Amino acid sequence: MLSELKKSLRKLLKIFKRKKQIQLGFYGPVNAGKTTLANRISLDWLGKEVGTVSEVPHETRHVQKIENIVVTTNNGELRMNIVDMPGIATQVDYKSFKAFGMSEEEAKARAREATKGVIEAIKWLDNVDAVLVVLDSTQDPYTQVNVTIIGNLEARGIPMIIVANKIDLPEAQPESIANAFPQHVVVPISAATGENIEKLYEAIQEHLT
Amino acid sequence: MEIQLDFVSAETLARKGSAEKISFILDKIKRNIIVVLEEALEPQEEAELIEATMREIDTEEFHGIEFYRIDSRAKGLREKIAEYIAGRRHGLTIVGPTRLIEAIKREPDYISMLAKVDVPEEEKRKRGRKKKGGK
Repeated sequence: MLSELKKSLRKLLKIFKRKKQIQLGFYGPVNAGKTTLANRISLDWLGKEVGTVSEVPHETRHVQKIENIVVTTNNGELRMNIVDMPGIATQVDYKSFKAFGMSEEEAKARAREATKGVIEAIKWLDNVDAVLVVLDSTQDPYTQVNVTIIGNLEARGIPMIIVANKIDLPEAQPESIANAFPQHVVVPISAATGENIEKLYEAIQEHLT
Repeated sequence: MEIQLDFVSAETLARKGSAEKISFILDKIKRNIIVVLEEALEPQEEAELIEATMREIDTEEFHGIEFYRIDSRAKGLREKIAEYIAGRRHGLTIVGPTRLIEAIKREPDYISMLAKVDVPEEEKRKRGRKKKGGK
Protein backbone atom coordinates (compact mmCIF):
# COMPACT_ATOMS: atom_id res chain seq x y z
CA MET A 1 0.00 0.00 0.00
CA LEU A 2 2.78 2.43 0.96
CA SER A 3 4.67 1.63 -2.21
CA GLU A 4 1.48 2.22 -4.24
CA LEU A 5 1.15 5.63 -2.58
CA LYS A 6 4.82 6.45 -3.24
CA LYS A 7 4.40 5.44 -6.87
CA SER A 8 1.34 7.67 -7.37
CA LEU A 9 3.09 10.59 -5.67
CA ARG A 10 6.15 10.18 -7.91
CA LYS A 11 3.91 10.18 -11.01
CA LEU A 12 2.12 13.31 -9.81
CA LEU A 13 5.40 15.10 -9.09
CA LYS A 14 6.67 14.16 -12.53
CA ILE A 15 3.82 16.08 -14.17
CA PHE A 16 4.80 19.28 -12.38
CA LYS A 17 8.53 18.79 -12.33
CA ARG A 18 9.81 17.69 -15.71
CA LYS A 19 13.57 17.41 -15.37
CA LYS A 20 15.87 18.93 -17.95
CA GLN A 21 18.63 16.47 -17.11
CA ILE A 22 17.96 12.97 -15.85
CA GLN A 23 20.07 10.69 -13.71
CA LEU A 24 19.80 7.44 -15.65
CA GLY A 25 20.85 4.22 -13.87
CA PHE A 26 21.92 1.09 -15.76
CA TYR A 27 20.76 -1.97 -13.89
CA GLY A 28 20.78 -5.63 -14.77
CA PRO A 29 22.31 -8.99 -14.01
CA VAL A 30 26.02 -9.67 -14.36
CA ASN A 31 27.44 -9.75 -17.94
CA ALA A 32 24.33 -8.31 -19.61
CA GLY A 33 26.32 -5.56 -21.35
CA LYS A 34 25.66 -2.52 -19.14
CA THR A 35 29.21 -1.18 -19.40
CA THR A 36 29.35 -1.91 -23.14
CA LEU A 37 26.23 0.24 -23.53
CA ALA A 38 27.63 2.99 -21.25
CA ASN A 39 30.84 2.95 -23.29
CA ARG A 40 28.92 3.10 -26.57
CA ILE A 41 26.92 6.16 -25.45
CA SER A 42 29.94 7.86 -23.91
CA LEU A 43 32.14 7.22 -26.96
CA ASP A 44 29.43 8.48 -29.33
CA TRP A 45 28.74 11.71 -27.44
CA LEU A 46 31.78 12.45 -25.26
CA GLY A 47 34.46 10.75 -27.32
CA LYS A 48 35.75 8.54 -24.48
CA GLU A 49 35.03 5.17 -22.88
CA VAL A 50 34.31 4.85 -19.19
CA GLY A 51 34.78 1.27 -18.13
CA THR A 52 36.53 -1.98 -18.90
CA VAL A 53 34.50 -4.70 -20.57
CA SER A 54 35.37 -8.38 -20.34
CA GLU A 55 33.80 -11.81 -20.27
CA VAL A 56 34.88 -12.23 -16.64
CA PRO A 57 31.84 -11.81 -14.38
CA HIS A 58 31.71 -8.75 -12.09
CA GLU A 59 34.14 -6.73 -14.24
CA THR A 60 32.30 -3.59 -13.04
CA ARG A 61 32.56 -3.62 -9.25
CA HIS A 62 32.06 0.07 -8.56
CA VAL A 63 29.40 2.53 -9.66
CA GLN A 64 30.67 4.55 -12.64
CA LYS A 65 29.14 7.93 -13.35
CA ILE A 66 29.28 9.70 -16.71
CA GLU A 67 28.04 13.26 -16.42
CA ASN A 68 26.56 15.84 -18.76
CA ILE A 69 25.87 13.75 -21.83
CA VAL A 70 23.86 15.65 -24.43
CA VAL A 71 22.34 13.41 -27.11
CA THR A 72 20.69 14.89 -30.20
CA THR A 73 17.76 12.91 -31.59
CA ASN A 74 15.01 13.61 -34.15
CA ASN A 75 12.92 14.89 -31.23
CA GLY A 76 15.48 17.32 -29.88
CA GLU A 77 18.12 17.23 -27.16
CA LEU A 78 18.38 14.61 -24.45
CA ARG A 79 20.48 15.57 -21.41
CA MET A 80 21.51 12.92 -18.95
CA ASN A 81 23.99 11.63 -16.41
CA ILE A 82 24.58 7.91 -16.77
CA VAL A 83 25.22 5.78 -13.70
CA ASP A 84 26.61 2.38 -14.71
CA MET A 85 25.95 -0.07 -11.87
CA PRO A 86 27.72 -3.30 -10.97
CA GLY A 87 25.63 -6.32 -12.01
CA ILE A 88 23.13 -7.64 -9.49
CA ALA A 89 23.70 -11.21 -8.34
CA THR A 90 22.57 -13.45 -5.49
CA GLN A 91 25.82 -15.38 -5.32
CA VAL A 92 29.54 -14.70 -5.68
CA ASP A 93 31.86 -17.69 -5.61
CA TYR A 94 35.53 -16.76 -5.87
CA LYS A 95 36.28 -20.12 -7.53
CA SER A 96 34.42 -19.00 -10.66
CA PHE A 97 37.08 -16.29 -11.18
CA LYS A 98 39.89 -18.84 -11.02
CA ALA A 99 38.55 -20.33 -14.24
CA PHE A 100 39.66 -17.08 -15.92
CA GLY A 101 43.26 -17.57 -14.84
CA MET A 102 43.24 -15.58 -11.58
CA SER A 103 45.30 -16.66 -8.61
CA GLU A 104 43.48 -17.71 -5.43
CA GLU A 105 44.22 -14.36 -3.78
CA GLU A 106 43.15 -12.33 -6.83
CA ALA A 107 39.94 -14.33 -7.11
CA LYS A 108 39.11 -13.83 -3.42
CA ALA A 109 39.81 -10.10 -3.64
CA ARG A 110 37.57 -9.81 -6.71
CA ALA A 111 34.80 -11.74 -4.93
CA ARG A 112 34.96 -9.37 -1.95
CA GLU A 113 34.80 -6.33 -4.26
CA ALA A 114 31.94 -7.89 -6.22
CA THR A 115 29.79 -8.32 -3.11
CA LYS A 116 30.38 -4.68 -2.17
CA GLY A 117 29.48 -3.66 -5.73
CA VAL A 118 26.10 -5.39 -5.54
CA ILE A 119 25.32 -3.63 -2.24
CA GLU A 120 26.35 -0.28 -3.73
CA ALA A 121 24.12 -0.83 -6.77
CA ILE A 122 21.09 -1.61 -4.58
CA LYS A 123 21.71 1.48 -2.43
CA TRP A 124 21.80 3.64 -5.59
CA LEU A 125 18.16 2.76 -6.33
CA ASP A 126 17.24 5.74 -4.16
CA ASN A 127 19.32 8.15 -6.26
CA VAL A 128 18.25 7.56 -9.86
CA ASP A 129 15.44 9.31 -11.75
CA ALA A 130 14.98 6.58 -14.35
CA VAL A 131 16.52 3.25 -15.24
CA LEU A 132 17.58 1.18 -18.23
CA VAL A 133 17.27 -2.47 -17.25
CA VAL A 134 19.85 -4.13 -19.48
CA LEU A 135 19.16 -7.81 -20.15
CA ASP A 136 20.99 -10.33 -22.31
CA SER A 137 18.65 -11.51 -25.10
CA THR A 138 20.48 -14.81 -25.36
CA GLN A 139 19.49 -15.75 -21.79
CA ASP A 140 16.23 -16.82 -20.15
CA PRO A 141 14.71 -13.49 -19.03
CA TYR A 142 12.51 -14.93 -16.30
CA THR A 143 15.15 -15.15 -13.58
CA GLN A 144 14.58 -14.05 -10.00
CA VAL A 145 17.30 -11.39 -10.27
CA ASN A 146 15.52 -9.77 -13.23
CA VAL A 147 12.15 -10.03 -11.47
CA THR A 148 13.61 -8.49 -8.30
CA ILE A 149 15.21 -5.57 -10.16
CA ILE A 150 12.04 -4.79 -12.12
CA GLY A 151 9.84 -5.34 -9.04
CA ASN A 152 11.91 -2.86 -7.02
CA LEU A 153 11.72 -0.21 -9.73
CA GLU A 154 7.94 -0.71 -9.99
CA ALA A 155 7.51 -0.52 -6.21
CA ARG A 156 9.53 2.71 -6.06
CA GLY A 157 7.72 4.19 -9.06
CA ILE A 158 10.96 4.65 -11.01
CA PRO A 159 10.27 4.79 -14.77
CA MET A 160 12.22 2.21 -16.77
CA ILE A 161 12.93 0.86 -20.20
CA ILE A 162 14.05 -2.73 -20.65
CA VAL A 163 16.96 -3.00 -23.07
CA ALA A 164 17.12 -6.37 -24.82
CA ASN A 165 20.84 -6.35 -25.52
CA LYS A 166 23.11 -8.55 -27.66
CA ILE A 167 20.74 -8.84 -30.64
CA ASP A 168 23.80 -9.21 -32.87
CA LEU A 169 24.27 -12.75 -31.55
CA PRO A 170 22.56 -15.53 -33.55
CA GLU A 171 20.93 -17.09 -30.46
CA ALA A 172 19.35 -13.77 -29.34
CA GLN A 173 15.60 -13.86 -28.64
CA PRO A 174 14.56 -10.30 -27.71
CA GLU A 175 10.90 -11.29 -28.14
CA SER A 176 11.18 -13.60 -25.13
CA ILE A 177 12.09 -10.56 -23.00
CA ALA A 178 9.07 -8.66 -24.35
CA ASN A 179 6.88 -11.68 -23.57
CA ALA A 180 8.25 -11.98 -20.03
CA PHE A 181 7.64 -8.29 -19.17
CA PRO A 182 4.73 -7.18 -21.38
CA GLN A 183 3.87 -4.23 -19.10
CA HIS A 184 7.13 -2.44 -19.98
CA VAL A 185 8.71 -0.82 -23.02
CA VAL A 186 11.35 -3.17 -24.45
CA VAL A 187 13.95 -1.90 -26.93
CA PRO A 188 16.10 -4.52 -28.68
CA ILE A 189 19.65 -3.28 -29.33
CA SER A 190 23.22 -4.36 -29.74
CA ALA A 191 25.50 -2.24 -27.56
CA ALA A 192 28.46 -3.95 -29.21
CA THR A 193 27.57 -2.96 -32.80
CA GLY A 194 25.35 0.06 -32.10
CA GLU A 195 22.34 -1.49 -33.86
CA ASN A 196 19.05 0.26 -32.88
CA ILE A 197 20.81 2.66 -30.51
CA GLU A 198 18.93 5.62 -32.07
CA LYS A 199 15.64 3.93 -31.17
CA LEU A 200 16.85 3.63 -27.60
CA TYR A 201 17.62 7.37 -27.40
CA GLU A 202 14.16 8.17 -28.75
CA ALA A 203 12.54 5.77 -26.27
CA ILE A 204 14.45 7.39 -23.38
CA GLN A 205 13.25 10.80 -24.51
CA GLU A 206 9.66 9.63 -24.90
CA HIS A 207 9.29 7.52 -21.76
CA LEU A 208 11.89 8.61 -19.22
CA THR A 209 12.16 12.40 -19.40
CA MET B 1 23.93 -36.14 2.14
CA GLU B 2 20.79 -35.10 3.95
CA ILE B 3 18.78 -32.14 2.72
CA GLN B 4 16.59 -30.26 5.17
CA LEU B 5 13.63 -28.19 4.03
CA ASP B 6 11.90 -25.93 6.54
CA PHE B 7 8.39 -24.71 5.77
CA VAL B 8 7.55 -21.43 7.47
CA SER B 9 3.91 -20.46 7.89
CA ALA B 10 2.46 -17.09 6.90
CA GLU B 11 1.41 -16.59 10.55
CA THR B 12 5.01 -16.96 11.75
CA LEU B 13 6.22 -14.54 9.08
CA ALA B 14 3.49 -12.00 9.84
CA ARG B 15 4.89 -11.65 13.37
CA LYS B 16 8.28 -10.59 12.02
CA GLY B 17 9.39 -7.24 10.64
CA SER B 18 11.38 -7.18 7.38
CA ALA B 19 14.81 -7.09 9.03
CA GLU B 20 13.92 -9.88 11.44
CA LYS B 21 12.51 -11.95 8.58
CA ILE B 22 15.69 -11.55 6.50
CA SER B 23 17.98 -12.54 9.37
CA PHE B 24 15.67 -15.50 10.19
CA ILE B 25 15.97 -16.73 6.58
CA LEU B 26 19.71 -16.19 6.33
CA ASP B 27 20.35 -17.90 9.64
CA LYS B 28 18.73 -21.06 8.26
CA ILE B 29 20.39 -20.77 4.84
CA LYS B 30 23.82 -20.53 6.45
CA ARG B 31 23.06 -23.80 8.25
CA ASN B 32 22.38 -25.37 4.82
CA ILE B 33 18.61 -25.47 5.23
CA ILE B 34 16.33 -24.77 2.27
CA VAL B 35 13.46 -22.54 3.37
CA VAL B 36 9.96 -22.45 1.89
CA LEU B 37 8.02 -19.37 3.01
CA GLU B 38 4.25 -19.34 2.87
CA GLU B 39 4.24 -15.83 1.43
CA ALA B 40 5.61 -13.90 -1.52
CA LEU B 41 8.38 -11.60 -0.33
CA GLU B 42 7.96 -7.95 -1.29
CA PRO B 43 10.45 -6.70 -3.94
CA GLN B 44 12.07 -4.45 -1.33
CA GLU B 45 12.48 -7.43 0.99
CA GLU B 46 14.08 -9.34 -1.88
CA ALA B 47 16.56 -6.48 -2.39
CA GLU B 48 17.25 -6.49 1.37
CA LEU B 49 17.77 -10.25 1.22
CA ILE B 50 20.31 -9.87 -1.60
CA GLU B 51 22.06 -7.05 0.26
CA ALA B 52 22.23 -9.05 3.50
CA THR B 53 23.45 -12.10 1.57
CA MET B 54 26.28 -10.09 0.01
CA ARG B 55 27.37 -8.98 3.49
CA GLU B 56 27.42 -12.58 4.71
CA ILE B 57 29.30 -14.12 1.77
CA ASP B 58 32.71 -15.40 2.71
CA THR B 59 35.25 -17.03 0.47
CA GLU B 60 35.18 -20.42 2.16
CA GLU B 61 31.77 -21.59 3.36
CA PHE B 62 28.99 -19.35 2.10
CA HIS B 63 28.80 -18.21 -1.52
CA GLY B 64 25.27 -16.94 -1.72
CA ILE B 65 21.68 -17.95 -2.29
CA GLU B 66 19.23 -19.03 -4.94
CA PHE B 67 15.65 -17.94 -4.44
CA TYR B 68 12.40 -17.80 -6.29
CA ARG B 69 9.14 -16.02 -5.61
CA ILE B 70 5.93 -17.65 -6.76
CA ASP B 71 3.52 -14.80 -6.79
CA SER B 72 -0.23 -15.13 -6.58
CA ARG B 73 -0.58 -11.65 -5.19
CA ALA B 74 -3.83 -9.67 -5.34
CA LYS B 75 -4.09 -7.53 -8.44
CA GLY B 76 -7.19 -5.36 -7.82
CA LEU B 77 -7.33 -2.48 -5.31
CA ARG B 78 -10.03 -4.19 -3.20
CA GLU B 79 -7.96 -7.39 -3.00
CA LYS B 80 -4.86 -5.35 -2.16
CA ILE B 81 -6.65 -3.61 0.71
CA ALA B 82 -7.92 -6.98 1.98
CA GLU B 83 -4.38 -8.41 1.84
CA TYR B 84 -3.02 -5.35 3.63
CA ILE B 85 -5.61 -5.63 6.42
CA ALA B 86 -5.01 -9.37 6.78
CA GLY B 87 -1.23 -8.72 6.74
CA ARG B 88 -0.69 -11.61 4.36
CA ARG B 89 0.84 -11.70 0.88
CA HIS B 90 -0.28 -14.69 -1.09
CA GLY B 91 2.30 -16.84 -2.79
CA LEU B 92 5.43 -18.77 -1.86
CA THR B 93 9.13 -18.01 -1.71
CA ILE B 94 11.82 -20.68 -1.88
CA VAL B 95 15.29 -19.73 -0.63
CA GLY B 96 18.34 -21.95 -0.36
CA PRO B 97 22.12 -21.83 -0.26
CA THR B 98 23.92 -22.11 -3.62
CA ARG B 99 25.93 -25.02 -2.31
CA LEU B 100 22.66 -27.00 -2.22
CA ILE B 101 20.56 -25.44 -4.97
CA GLU B 102 21.91 -25.62 -8.48
CA ALA B 103 19.00 -23.72 -10.04
CA ILE B 104 15.34 -22.83 -9.64
CA LYS B 105 13.63 -22.52 -13.00
CA ARG B 106 10.22 -21.47 -14.08
CA GLU B 107 8.63 -23.96 -16.48
CA PRO B 108 5.30 -23.26 -18.21
CA ASP B 109 3.24 -25.26 -15.69
CA TYR B 110 5.48 -25.56 -12.66
CA ILE B 111 8.60 -24.37 -10.84
CA SER B 112 11.53 -26.75 -10.92
CA MET B 113 14.27 -26.82 -8.28
CA LEU B 114 17.49 -28.66 -8.98
CA ALA B 115 19.34 -29.60 -5.80
CA LYS B 116 22.97 -30.67 -5.59
CA VAL B 117 23.71 -33.77 -3.60
CA ASP B 118 27.38 -34.33 -2.90
CA VAL B 119 28.07 -38.03 -2.88
CA PRO B 120 30.74 -38.85 -0.29
CA GLU B 121 34.00 -40.25 -1.73
CA GLU B 122 33.49 -43.65 -0.07
CA GLU B 123 30.03 -43.97 -1.65
CA LYS B 124 31.48 -42.99 -5.07
CA ARG B 125 34.09 -45.76 -4.75
CA LYS B 126 31.39 -48.27 -3.80
CA ARG B 127 29.32 -47.28 -6.82
CA GLY B 128 32.39 -47.56 -9.05
CA ARG B 129 33.07 -51.11 -7.81
CA LYS B 130 29.45 -52.10 -8.40
CA LYS B 131 29.62 -50.80 -11.99
CA LYS B 132 32.81 -52.71 -12.68
CA GLY B 133 31.32 -55.87 -11.17
CA GLY B 134 28.23 -55.43 -13.33
CA LYS B 135 25.86 -55.45 -10.33
